[in-house]
Amino acid sequence: MKFLDIRDRMLLAALLPVTFVAFWLAAVFLLARAGDIDEAHQQRARSLARQVASASEYGMFSANTGNLQAIAAGAMREADVRSVAILDAQGNELALAGQAGYARLPALGEKETQWNDEPTRHDMVVQPVTASQVKLDDLFDEGVQTGGDTPQVMGHVVIEISRQTVISRERDMLMAGLAVTLGGLLFGGFLAIRIGQGVIRPILRVTDIIERIGRGELSSRGEVLPDDPLRDLQLGLNQMAERLEQGRDELERRVALATLELRAKKEEAETATLAKSRFLAAASHDLRQPTHALGMFVARLAQLPHDQETLHLISNLEASVRALQDLLDALLDISRLDAHVVKVSLRAFPLEEVLEQLRRDLVPAAADKGLQLRVRRSQLWVMSDPILLHRILLNLAGNALRYTRRGGVLVACRLRRGAEYVRIEVWDSGIGIAKEHQTDIFKEFFQIANTERDRSKGLGLGLNIVERTAQLLGHSLELTSRPGQGTRFSIEVPVVPPLPQSSMPAVPEVLAFDDLSGLKVLIIEDDALAARALASLLNSWECQVRVAEGLAKAQPLVAKGYVPNVIISDYRLRGGENGMETVQRLRAAIGRDVPACLMSGDTDPALMQSTRDAGLTLLHKPVRPAKLRSLIRRLVQEGGPPVSPVQLEGVDRE
Amino acid sequence: MVIVSSEGGAAYQEAAVALLGELESGGVSSKDVLQITAAELAKADARTPRLYVALGTEAASVLARSELKAPVLCTLLPRQSFERLMRESGRRPSSQFTALYLNQPLTRQLDLVRLALPQVRSVGVLVGTESQSLEHTLTETAQSRGLKLVSVQVKPEGPVFVGLKKILAETELLLALADPQIYNSSSIQNILLASYRARVPMLAFSPAYVRAGALLGVYSTPAQIGQQAGVIARGMLQGKALDLPQYPKDFNVGVNEHVARSLGLNLEPQALTERLRRLEKRP
Repeated sequence: MKFLDIRDRMLLAALLPVTFVAFWLAAVFLLARAGDIDEAHQQRARSLARQVASASEYGMFSANTGNLQAIAAGAMREADVRSVAILDAQGNELALAGQAGYARLPALGEKETQWNDEPTRHDMVVQPVTASQVKLDDLFDEGVQTGGDTPQVMGHVVIEISRQTVISRERDMLMAGLAVTLGGLLFGGFLAIRIGQGVIRPILRVTDIIERIGRGELSSRGEVLPDDPLRDLQLGLNQMAERLEQGRDELERRVALATLELRAKKEEAETATLAKSRFLAAASHDLRQPTHALGMFVARLAQLPHDQETLHLISNLEASVRALQDLLDALLDISRLDAHVVKVSLRAFPLEEVLEQLRRDLVPAAADKGLQLRVRRSQLWVMSDPILLHRILLNLAGNALRYTRRGGVLVACRLRRGAEYVRIEVWDSGIGIAKEHQTDIFKEFFQIANTERDRSKGLGLGLNIVERTAQLLGHSLELTSRPGQGTRFSIEVPVVPPLPQSSMPAVPEVLAFDDLSGLKVLIIEDDALAARALASLLNSWECQVRVAEGLAKAQPLVAKGYVPNVIISDYRLRGGENGMETVQRLRAAIGRDVPACLMSGDTDPALMQSTRDAGLTLLHKPVRPAKLRSLIRRLVQEGGPPVSPVQLEGVDRE
Repeated sequence: MVIVSSEGGAAYQEAAVALLGELESGGVSSKDVLQITAAELAKADARTPRLYVALGTEAASVLARSELKAPVLCTLLPRQSFERLMRESGRRPSSQFTALYLNQPLTRQLDLVRLALPQVRSVGVLVGTESQSLEHTLTETAQSRGLKLVSVQVKPEGPVFVGLKKILAETELLLALADPQIYNSSSIQNILLASYRARVPMLAFSPAYVRAGALLGVYSTPAQIGQQAGVIARGMLQGKALDLPQYPKDFNVGVNEHVARSLGLNLEPQALTERLRRLEKRP
């Protein structure tokens, strides 16, 4: 059923009884009135017939047809009378006035009869004419059969009366009745609407206010009228709205207060984080330069002839420097993950590529520790970022080696989920991780049982980096471990069908020549210590090194016709110069794109981005000699500027 | 003796009371008189009475059909009815079965005409089957009083008005003779109306007709007849034989004063009665 609003319902409630009563009254009275009219009409017809019959008696007795005709004619003067016929006892017509509409008469009896003639719709009345009875009470009549009490029928009077007047009167009455009913309805409706409005308006007003309050306009108040039937409700509503408003204001004030406090706390926390990041960045940058130089020097130092004891010291020194560099790299990784500058470039590649690199990277370290590292071969191709995946596996396997004293580390691949995924598992036979620590180990700087913070055990950043990188790649990472038995980390990588061999990017692992001797290297470095260390290292590789503090010093060299094979430039140079521009200027001066790379202690994401855009390789200080050597080799081999993406630099723990 | 009434009506009661009064004044105890209705006759006391008095035609009819050991006096019935009973029962009027008529002798009626309406010269009579026998006597009686009599036969079931019209046209007075075929409660109104319109008055035979509109009438009341019957009964009880049927001796004259006034007549019923009685007592 259609929903009726309160206005319709009120109207219905008021109008239904009115309509009902009006129609019933009209119907009852009209019917009664119609009955009355009809009855009166019949009565009149009967009276007229009786009158005519009575008047005809003597005329009939005296067979005076003239008299009878006069009587009939007289009756005709009555309204609606169509015909009057006076018949004798045998049914012979003695007198007739008017035009008889009926075809024939039924058998006429001694009783008065009345009917409606079918074709003409006229009322017919037949009245027998009987002799008037005079009560004689006479002894003379006793014992003589004179017909008893039944009066002698002398003849009949037949009167035909039209119902025209009755019908028209009934019609008039019906119209009047309908008019009165309609008037009553209209009046009732008008009253219902007027009275209804008196109730509906306050209700609608209250409803409106409730709606507004519902919408949150707590300041809305209804006007309280003295004659309002819902005055109390209105008052209560206003009171409620007021209370609500007060309550809301109070709440808002408190919330605002709490928000203010929260904001202060948040700002404090942000400031702290910022301070931490800034500290990390600054610390790593400031530590880089000396560490960078230190690495270079130690590398150079190791190349000189020493006695056994000194060699041992240098070896230890190298290990310390390497640890220091690792820590810095890890901090750098974290700061880059924090800065969300790590770009994922997913592509299909053979998993073996990554595994081979892992083997190369870790087998020496395992051998040093006397552990067995086995990396099982795989023919699968996967969809991932090879560099990031390598970083993950390197971290996991490195960790495994670090926490294993006996036995070995196994890296194996298994197909999962209907061969759609490969699970790369890193098993160790190490100390294991207790249940309660299994989630904590992924947090930054968390290390189990390293309260003395032994640096050789790392900073505790590795697993955090692994987890965040895996998340970045969309690979799920799992940990299963039993203390004292060993640990298994596994990562699931989607498998793809192998691509044709030709499209494989060339792996520049096989070098045309390993020798850097005679290579002309131009170093642009404003830090004298770093420049000296680098030059010394390069010299030890028999490169012909020229050092310039900046563009101003480099340009004359180039102008004199000096064309280096490789340019190595610090990014941040004195006097606001930067390495990128310098390299580009020099290249322009030389007239061709001389292979070049940049070195920087900064971890500024913008810098990384712009270097990448310029198509230059950015090395982060401290640069490890081995890395530098392999880069120079590659740059020279390619004979042009490298186009490989910025590499997420090492947390490799060789 | 046994009084048999046709029914318990006022007229019979009145007659019976007068009869008993007359008997008592003659020393007859009312204990010796059994009063019953005609319907009760069959189961009435088996003792043989010395006289039956029938009040009304019905009672007479019942007694006529019964085997009776005692004489019967029929009274309160018109002459025509008694004669019809005689014909039907095969009896003959005798001292054993006699009557005291209700109606008046024709002489008395015609004498009244002469007394009351001396200007009337012609009298009309409607004659039916029952009154046919009187027609001859009537003509003679009228002639002896210097009156012209016009009589019209009315056939049974035939219209009255044709004959009436003739009489009303030709005579000055309508003399009504008791004959239910002509004069009955249905017809009397129209007959009276017709006579009135023709300004021909009616001389009727009962007070009811006078009340209904007849100018005047001569009749005997039930009391008068009862009293006369008492006298006869007493005589019979004293050993006198019953007479043959006879007309009542005492009578009254009734006048409808409204009709008289309408016709411009001034009639004194009391005086007329006296004069008529005196006329009859004259030898």
